[in-house]
Amino acid sequence: MSDISKLTDEEIVEKVRSSDRDLYAVIIERYTNKLLRYASHLVHDDDRASHIVQDAFIKSYINLNGFDTKKKFSSWIYRIVHNEAMNVIKKFQKEVPILADFDFESEENIVESLEQKEMSVEINKCLNSLPLIYAESLSLFYLEEKTYQEISDILRIPMGTVAIRISRAKKLMKNICKKT
Amino acid sequence: MQKDLKNITDSVMDQIRNDKIKMRPRIYFILGSILTFVGLASSVVASIFLVGLVRFSIRSHGPMGGFRLEQILSSFPWWAPVLAVGGLITGIWLLRRYDFAFKINFKLLILGFVLAIIVGGLIVDTIGLNDALVRRGPMKGIMRQYMQENNIQGESSWRWNRTP
Repeated sequence: MSDISKLTDEEIVEKVRSSDRDLYAVIIERYTNKLLRYASHLVHDDDRASHIVQDAFIKSYINLNGFDTKKKFSSWIYRIVHNEAMNVIKKFQKEVPILADFDFESEENIVESLEQKEMSVEINKCLNSLPLIYAESLSLFYLEEKTYQEISDILRIPMGTVAIRISRAKKLMKNICKKT
Repeated sequence: MQKDLKNITDSVMDQIRNDKIKMRPRIYFILGSILTFVGLASSVVASIFLVGLVRFSIRSHGPMGGFRLEQILSSFPWWAPVLAVGGLITGIWLLRRYDFAFKINFKLLILGFVLAIIVGGLIVDTIGLNDALVRRGPMKGIMRQYMQENNIQGESSWRWNRTP
């Protein structure tokens, strides 16, 4: 088992595909909590998040042979969860706002001055109030600690758009957190 | 969270062990990629040819063709631009399936794609590739039928009509 824990996700996927399908449990254990947290931020409902993550693991297994092991498995599985969450959100659109128009009154950026840890706490408090397109970028960047490149791969948007969304999300956070 | 972790792991692994879910074979994805590429290439080639045909059709009404609007409208191969647009839409849809597509500004990608097909169609028509297609290419039947239906007289008429 200690050998398995040293293997990368991509190496485990290769083994699951070629010989040992039981190793897929290792992948599930590595990612379930992270993906549950991400899905919860998107759909604001733990039960739905749980279903989303389970469906994502099933779809991931079915399509495992389509995964390119030269790329990052984490981006791939996050992308599947993202797609599943979007389907759920569309289904229950009235309950979860997908987009909202916001005014950006201030250019001042007080969030940047906070320490990473404090910022995570702040983000957790206010994230649910953010429009989805900003919440998902911010959640991936600060909570899941993904790089711009990884966020770009997960959300299928250019890196420039990732940067813009995160920057706007910070400003929105400032306004929302001030009110709460 | 721990309960969720155990539930999800057990549920998914049970389905895998009981063969309720199976991995799609690798050939499924290889064929998918090949068909996507072939579809994209076909839509581009078909669109280029149809743009050429549309240009030829407009020109084939003679030097005073511009004044004979009714004749052009009645004999114009309307199916060609419809199919060309269909090919374009299919091509763009297929293009979106490629991994790299989201990294490029999609509006620019579509604009480039459409421009490339229109320019391609004009080049094909200008260098006379349509002539070759009429004589022996895969579109021989379509072009012959179109020319017969509209009383366009063979290659000599075509050549004459090409003169500006």
